[in-house]
Amino acid sequence: MSRPGFVLTVDERTPPLLMHSGESFRLEEFPLGSRVIYPPESLPGVPDVDEAIEQALLHPTDSEPLPELLRPGMRLTIAFDDLSLPLPPMRKPDIRQRILEHVLEHAARAGVDDVQLIAANALHRRMTPDELKTIVGERVFRSFYPDNLVNFDAEDRDNLAHLGKTDKDEDVEISRRAAESDLLVYVNVNLVAMDGGWKSTAIGLASYNSLRHHHNSHTMVHSRSFMDPHASQLHSSAWRMGRVLSEHVKVFQIETTLNNDAFPSQYGFLTKREWEWSLRDQTMFLGAKRGIDLMPAKARRRLFQSMEAPYQVTGISAGAVEPVHAQTLERVHRQQLVEVDGQSDIGVFGLPYLCPYNVNSVMNPILAACLGLGYFFNMYVGQPIVRKGGVLILNHPVPWEFSTLHHPSYVDFFDEVLSVSTDPKVIEQKFEQQYATDPWYVHLYRTSYAYHGVHPFYMWYWCAHALDHLGEVIWVGGDRRAVARMGMRSASTFADALEMATDSVGRSPSITYLHSPPHALAQVK
Amino acid sequence: MTLVRDVKQVARGWRWTHRPLPPRSAEPHHVFTEPREFPTDWARSRPARVAREVILRAGLGPIVRRETTLHVDGLDVFDGLDEPVVLVANHSSHLDTALLLTTLPVEWQRKVTVGAAADYFFDAWWRAVGSALAFSTFPIERSGVGLSETPLRLLAEGWSVLMYPEGTRSPDGWARRFRLGAAYLASQARVPVLPVAIVGSYAAMPKGRGWPKPGRPEVHVRYGRPLRQADQESPREFGQRISTAVSTLLDEDRSDWYAAMRRAADGATPSPSGPEAAHWRRVWESTASPQSVRRPRPRAWR
Repeated sequence: MSRPGFVLTVDERTPPLLMHSGESFRLEEFPLGSRVIYPPESLPGVPDVDEAIEQALLHPTDSEPLPELLRPGMRLTIAFDDLSLPLPPMRKPDIRQRILEHVLEHAARAGVDDVQLIAANALHRRMTPDELKTIVGERVFRSFYPDNLVNFDAEDRDNLAHLGKTDKDEDVEISRRAAESDLLVYVNVNLVAMDGGWKSTAIGLASYNSLRHHHNSHTMVHSRSFMDPHASQLHSSAWRMGRVLSEHVKVFQIETTLNNDAFPSQYGFLTKREWEWSLRDQTMFLGAKRGIDLMPAKARRRLFQSMEAPYQVTGISAGAVEPVHAQTLERVHRQQLVEVDGQSDIGVFGLPYLCPYNVNSVMNPILAACLGLGYFFNMYVGQPIVRKGGVLILNHPVPWEFSTLHHPSYVDFFDEVLSVSTDPKVIEQKFEQQYATDPWYVHLYRTSYAYHGVHPFYMWYWCAHALDHLGEVIWVGGDRRAVARMGMRSASTFADALEMATDSVGRSPSITYLHSPPHALAQVK
Repeated sequence: MTLVRDVKQVARGWRWTHRPLPPRSAEPHHVFTEPREFPTDWARSRPARVAREVILRAGLGPIVRRETTLHVDGLDVFDGLDEPVVLVANHSSHLDTALLLTTLPVEWQRKVTVGAAADYFFDAWWRAVGSALAFSTFPIERSGVGLSETPLRLLAEGWSVLMYPEGTRSPDGWARRFRLGAAYLASQARVPVLPVAIVGSYAAMPKGRGWPKPGRPEVHVRYGRPLRQADQESPREFGQRISTAVSTLLDEDRSDWYAAMRRAADGATPSPSGPEAAHWRRVWESTASPQSVRRPRPRAWR
């Protein structure tokens, strides 16, 4: 029986609490009375994943069963989430592989020859063949790569289709192949409440021309939060676009949800509540921490990036996008939602080594900011964990380090743009177009493994709501120059950060620590 | 140095020297696993018995007699008693167990074992080992999880069991309500209960002290006659009789045997729980050493 999430009040019995900090973790002692949000324990997985897949395909919600939608001579496009999901990557076989194999078996039986698989990476970097193979599995990869298993190219003008505009004058431009198919099957991994629904197709397969309507500072400031689709302008826009899309192509959405088993069993202490750590967990923590601290940086990164989560699938839904997504959200909430009574003066997040955009790569300062101020800050329903004008304390080393392979435009963004302004609105107006259309960045996006030139802007916009809401952001252990470039302050220790925060919130602030990962979505009342 | 710091932090945070406790706000969400009983059978093995005899007779006994003025009465109750018993005493000091164990006749001292609070004496391995070796303790859960099998087994194996039915040391020196565990135990094991009154231990070494007060304070240990559960007597009634027996012994210590017997027959034994008064007055009263039973030395002149 999985225990629900809850809010702990730190007392003198509370042991120091685990806190992630990039490619390391440590124990921190919190002031008495601080609140700690613990996610629910892992829900049990479905007993038979293959049976659950078949069940979903044969008994979909508000749709004909998949076999009835397949016929000889048709154009079938199957799109799937890229490597930004799930995090950490899932232990093989990936759930997408298992679903793709079931879908393709049905397609083969129905005599469908024209099948294309597209990774819905939008403006994310292309995946390497090995990364693609990890997601789709060896059989699918060997059958379809390279001609019919492709990364989506949002700059391939010939293969984009403009489907029209929404009632809010937003362009809907997506993959031509997907738009002109007889059936578009989408296979998703719904790790958090933000994922899935029309976001899968209307964003994952869209071009800059379409994305700019919701990936902007105004929409992000008014997406409160983007983990709550009902209160998110980002999602409202995607839903409008999805409805335009549905007028052109039949979409058969397959959504999956995972439990909270985010770390391998040997790192079980990362997901256990600290006071329940056994002597073995305590020893593992001490050994792992010491080992990690002594490791050369490269080996440490390799160790973390090679971590595979033993996630279990908690449910699979298929059929029409919107009702399927409603079922998905209900399962995500069951796994992640925690009721929290009121806001705090100070919020504390420990940022791990991984965000959606640095899989097999480096977490540069912009991605660290996006993880803390974008993802973690938005892990709420109702109102933010921190009050308006409050302080957010983030734990991450924020190294001044970039991957020139994956994030070339980030380097220039950090040097040229953030040194001029850190205001999302200002940089949007002054710099976005230039980066979005820069031919060199477009070239690297299309032919190398680079994120699109405009991508660092999007990352910064994801911080816009937090930057607008918070009085101050303090990084514990952050590189001072890198943090200062982003217009924030750095503290050597957590105690120093709390001391610095008193400037903004007084000497007796209320403190809330979001104990994540695994994911916890705070329902703040 | 970092590792040392981390180890210290973990040792402190996870109470390596104590029993771990969940934070209060986590208790409703905590899965309490049945605590594994600390093994103490080794403490009744021959080598441990030999070590304990050395500790009690060469260490603790002389210390108790040097640091207190000890008077023991009623040891004749052990004459002719040839079966294990449940020893029941009032409890107001850590000195009590040492007093009892060092005043018992040697052959009884070798075969007595002490029920000790699991959450206090067995919360850290070093305390558990130390108390088991020196006093032959076994853990008793005070949280009301039912009677452990251990004391029953020990009685069946011929060991006498010492219990303090108050559950914990008195905070003010006066006796508290007796719980029924000892009565149930004796009832189930079909063994007699031997009541014992300890007087003056609170004044000699109250809660918070680790050593008796200087000045050899007076302490009295008075053993009463064994009590057996009557045929139709319920454990609850038997428990009441045990409590009354200890009260009578306490009364006897303050007056004399016959007067105490008379008051007991009239149901007029003074309550061992002391007067209804402010806490400080109760403490004040019990910190006075009991009346000396020493005869005053004859004066050389009047």
